[in-house]
Amino acid sequence: MNITLDCIMPAPLASINHGPESIWGNKVELEYGKRILLNASSGKGKSTFTTTAFGLRRDYEGSLLYDNKDIRELTPTDWTEIRKTKISVVFQDLQLFPKLSVQENLLLKNSLTDTYTETELRQMLEKLDIDNKWEQQCGLLSMGQQQRVATIRAMTQPYAWLIMDEPFSHLDVDNARKCMEIIHDRTIEQGAGFVLTTLGDSHGYSFDQELKL
Amino acid sequence: MGITFLITSIHYLIRVNEFGEGEEILGPNTIIVQKQVSNASMLNLTQTDFSEAEIEKMKKEPFILDVKPVVANNFSISFQTDDELVPYFRSDVFIQTVDQKFLDVDTEKWKWKEGDTIVPIVMPRDFIVMLNTFMSAQGIPQISDDLAMDINFKFTLEGPVGDASVNSLGTTSQVKMQKEWVNARIIGFTNEVAAILVPESFMTYGNSKFSDGSKQKITQVMISGKESEFGLVEEMLEKRGLESKDSQMIIGRLKSMIGTLFLVVLGISVIAVFVSGLVLIQYMQLLMTRNAYEVRTLMRMGYHPNDIIRRFFFYFVLIFGIVAGLGLAMFFLFKLLLDDMFESGGLYIDTSLTLGSVGALLLAYILFTAASFFTAKKGIFKEY
Repeated sequence: MNITLDCIMPAPLASINHGPESIWGNKVELEYGKRILLNASSGKGKSTFTTTAFGLRRDYEGSLLYDNKDIRELTPTDWTEIRKTKISVVFQDLQLFPKLSVQENLLLKNSLTDTYTETELRQMLEKLDIDNKWEQQCGLLSMGQQQRVATIRAMTQPYAWLIMDEPFSHLDVDNARKCMEIIHDRTIEQGAGFVLTTLGDSHGYSFDQELKL
Repeated sequence: MGITFLITSIHYLIRVNEFGEGEEILGPNTIIVQKQVSNASMLNLTQTDFSEAEIEKMKKEPFILDVKPVVANNFSISFQTDDELVPYFRSDVFIQTVDQKFLDVDTEKWKWKEGDTIVPIVMPRDFIVMLNTFMSAQGIPQISDDLAMDINFKFTLEGPVGDASVNSLGTTSQVKMQKEWVNARIIGFTNEVAAILVPESFMTYGNSKFSDGSKQKITQVMISGKESEFGLVEEMLEKRGLESKDSQMIIGRLKSMIGTLFLVVLGISVIAVFVSGLVLIQYMQLLMTRNAYEVRTLMRMGYHPNDIIRRFFFYFVLIFGIVAGLGLAMFFLFKLLLDDMFESGGLYIDTSLTLGSVGALLLAYILFTAASFFTAKKGIFKEY
């Protein structure tokens, strides 16, 4: 699935002067299977990109296309299918359920597509050193722990694109590297692509493409 | 409580208004009235019969459905048994007729035309009592209502041929008399009329062919009043110096009173159920607002809005279902108590469940279900 940004200009960013390299106001193609870094300083629209690409915002000019189909034409049923099997997101604010445990947060997402077994989920948590938090309420975890849970949750579905909005901002280098490894393996396994937004840190990973805002 | 009172009030409103139906051939809320005999009427200073104008005036009252004269025979008629099952019995009788719409009879059975060999009649119940007394005295087994409807009876109509005339000496000249026999069959009974009721066509036939020449007077009229407004009918009777059989008045009064009471309870319970439904709907809205973050996140994770709508919808429909079920159970307990009270008070009403009351509960449930669905849909799509 290719994502095309055709002269997209979000309303809150319309007053800013964007250069020719920016994804705003220009035609940008996100080719399926590519691993893309979206590098920009604060306030340039990284989260705006995430929410717009995911169909959560409609306050923009231009067209956003999934395989040449304008997302404005998609129905709630189309979106449900896309969010279940085509595009997965790690939001900057994570959007976990704070009162539910790690187990419940992961299973709530996993049960839609039965991508992993409980054992496999626990193994993934173990790789990120948080397997002992299985029954812990998410709201009681540290931000770094929550980010790791949110990353695993985003992978508990098949996807063509994984969009991550500053997912490692509270992680140390080692944990960030471990997360990138899991993401890389899972994405390659599916032949999918991902977009990672960052304030400048590439987390030691080699991306296929870098976009600017 | 609102649901309990809603079902209870509708159930008893129906049952109270049905009270007396089927046992009496006269329709519901129908009475026969005549003018009170006063000293003035005894001295012929006022009339005891009804004029057309008086009947029309009564008809115009807003609480009156209809007023029609009770026509009596203007000729000689006798009634006798004509069946091996019963001993011979004969008596001169009075017959009366009223507009068919006042009678709760099968229209197919209540008709007669000249040439028909059997005339259908409605018999005063007192007649069967008298007949059974007679048969008991004769050592013959008594007859039931059903058997009485199988017995053959006979009318003998008698009257002058042509008009009787007064000669120059002031005496009535000799006139030739004519007789005719017609079979009769009972199709129903009445507690409210003292005379045998016959179809209008038979009365017209008899009065025209066998009349003794005297002027037809209307001394009784049949009045049909609106349900639950019997008090106004009584007021009118008192104002106009009319009277009716006590039992008719008492039943009519009682039905009006109880009907009005249940109507008031019905009104209050409709409001109570409506307000309760509103509260539940508002609670649903509050629940959705308080869980807006969770609803949004679930949809972003890939849950269909309709799945989430269904969750809220079924939850609240279940709550209302439980409340309705409890209300229905309370109604059955109330019903046991009230039926017992009515029976002790001499009001023998049908104790079976009414479709109307169950229908009202169903309607309330359907309305709430629809309101819940649309509220859930609106609330969820607001977060979409």
